[in-house]
Amino acid sequence: MTDSRVFLSGLWLIVTLELRQRVRGVSWYVLLGVFMLLVGIVTFLLWLATAAWLSGGGGVFSTIIFFVLLLGTLVSPALSGNAINGDRDAGTLATTQVTLISTGQLVLGKFLAAWITALAFLAAALPFLIFAVVLGQVSLGTIAVSVLVLAAELGVIAAVGVGLSGILTRPLFSIVLTYLVVAALSLGTLIAFALLGTATQQEATSVNYQVVSSAYDEQTGKQSDIVCSTAQTSTHDVPRFDYFWWVLAANPYVVVADAAPGSFDDGGYPTDLFGQIAVGVRSAQAAPELYTEYNECDEAAKGYRDQEFADGPTPQETYDGAVPSWFIGLVIHLLLGTGALTWAWRRTRTPARHLAAGSRIA
Amino acid sequence: MSMSVTTEFDAAVGPGIGPSGIAVTGVSRSFGSVVALIDATLTVPAGSVTALIGPNGSGKTTLLLMLATLLTPVTGTIRINGHDPVTEPERVRAVMGWMPDTLGSWPSLSARAALQTTGRMYRMTREQAAVRADELIALTDLGDFADRPSRVLSRGQKQRLSLARALVHSPGVLLLDEPASGLDPAARASLRHLLRRLAGDGAAILVSSHVLAELDEMADAAVYLAAGRTASPEQVAAAGASARAWRIRSLDTAALQRALAAPGVVGALVQVLGVDQLGTLVQVENEASAAALLHNLVLSGVPVCDFGPAVGKLEHTFLDLTRSTGPDAEATK
Repeated sequence: MTDSRVFLSGLWLIVTLELRQRVRGVSWYVLLGVFMLLVGIVTFLLWLATAAWLSGGGGVFSTIIFFVLLLGTLVSPALSGNAINGDRDAGTLATTQVTLISTGQLVLGKFLAAWITALAFLAAALPFLIFAVVLGQVSLGTIAVSVLVLAAELGVIAAVGVGLSGILTRPLFSIVLTYLVVAALSLGTLIAFALLGTATQQEATSVNYQVVSSAYDEQTGKQSDIVCSTAQTSTHDVPRFDYFWWVLAANPYVVVADAAPGSFDDGGYPTDLFGQIAVGVRSAQAAPELYTEYNECDEAAKGYRDQEFADGPTPQETYDGAVPSWFIGLVIHLLLGTGALTWAWRRTRTPARHLAAGSRIA
Repeated sequence: MSMSVTTEFDAAVGPGIGPSGIAVTGVSRSFGSVVALIDATLTVPAGSVTALIGPNGSGKTTLLLMLATLLTPVTGTIRINGHDPVTEPERVRAVMGWMPDTLGSWPSLSARAALQTTGRMYRMTREQAAVRADELIALTDLGDFADRPSRVLSRGQKQRLSLARALVHSPGVLLLDEPASGLDPAARASLRHLLRRLAGDGAAILVSSHVLAELDEMADAAVYLAAGRTASPEQVAAAGASARAWRIRSLDTAALQRALAAPGVVGALVQVLGVDQLGTLVQVENEASAAALLHNLVLSGVPVCDFGPAVGKLEHTFLDLTRSTGPDAEATK
């Protein structure tokens, strides 16, 4: 056998061993069944709520993808966060390490098994995703990109879980820390974005000129003898979210939403949850106007005729005019995952030079 | 035991290339400020069983972990069949079997599946691993439990599974950490026979155990560890030769007591220690004075039915060395 075939067959041996060990029969299938039931209920309610028989399945599809991401990030840490240190506690790590299985095969195999476990949730949601696609209005690009990015995000969580289980000695601690990483990415980025934005408020100035008095000519419908007020300046504070929009790029939900190609209706409004989130995140890139001037006298002189109640840009214009951020977030996540796995590999390598305080090798 | 299944790796490295057995020279290891081993030196030649003896915390398991390629020594060298576990762990692993002191087994796998999986970890094919698993199940007498998940196995059964796993790839060097604990007497006897047979086939076997009487029966040599140091051959010889207790049992206890009290029977080098349920204990300086005592007792007409050392040779040496190195160990800390 060649080296790579030896490596792959050992790797696959670890993957199957992990799956046989961790995915324990009945309780696992019950969990998947409960998950399918939940997705089914969510799909039905969404179908009603979005009037999907008229508007298409975009909303249903995107929400199910997010639901799989939510469940995956909730379950994956518990299944992967003790992959290595749990084996050490059970006394099965060292007996594997004295065989011809290398540390790389061991760590990578455990990661792949954890990833496959998380992907099982995606597979369980497949019937409902197909249902959403059948409802129509879901583009092939949206299906492909969102499923691939979701799978990658689940892989990142699995890698962080397995990595932390190799870095930390105690299984409970590594599982909790994996949950904290998930929470930091999913919720922490939102909190950080809101806090940073509001903490760096800036003063915005608006200047008004008002009409003090004027004469109105009934025949011509024009204003004359307009007496204008002096400039009336007022100030208020505006948050600078545009400095911190990149914080949201590290949020896995934003990554999935932003990666999906935008889908908009004729009025420029997003047709799915991906689009709504992406528009929201991308609109944060625009700086607020710090100086506005309104001259009522000019308007009065023109007879208020050309007064423009200027429409803001449509959501689609906002979306198209901003920088996509999903690949930055995805790269950060991939670095996080590979970093955790590499660190775990270094910590698990034998013969061990150092032992963490209080740890037992076998 | 059949040695018919060899992994590809075995075939490539081959037994008998380079010096075989275990050679440890001047090995030390510390964990932070705790010194686990200092200057440990020992050899286990191929075809022999060596006992590794020492009190709790003396560094036995640390030494075995280093031999098993799991831990690096700070100083000193280790050779397993001529290979260095630090620089060539894979070559060492191909020829070394290790049975840890902790009973780890994949809880949801049956004993048979665990052995097959281990075989495949040594790069056997699926068929080779299946054949080897069957052989080992027969060898370690696990047939009745082979297809139950290993979490339902008793301690002794898990211990046998652990031994079988260490033997999967027919290793030429065997490291056993407390292999007899939890075994019933029949299983202990078959373990003894198995190890003797493996040594007869050319394996180098290092066994750590607390059951010294048992090691007495199967070990060719012993290595004593105390406070991280291996005792030198001189120390071992001195400890083995020191005065030890012998036990005498007679069909006529009164006659034995009379004879021991009579002048001329008990030599200058013998001291009567007392009587317990199993017989009379006497302190004997060396084996010559023991022989003289027996001679005198028989001449005095005492019906002696049992005459022998009260503690085994290993235990005697062990206790003596532990006593003599104890204060030193305290001083070094």
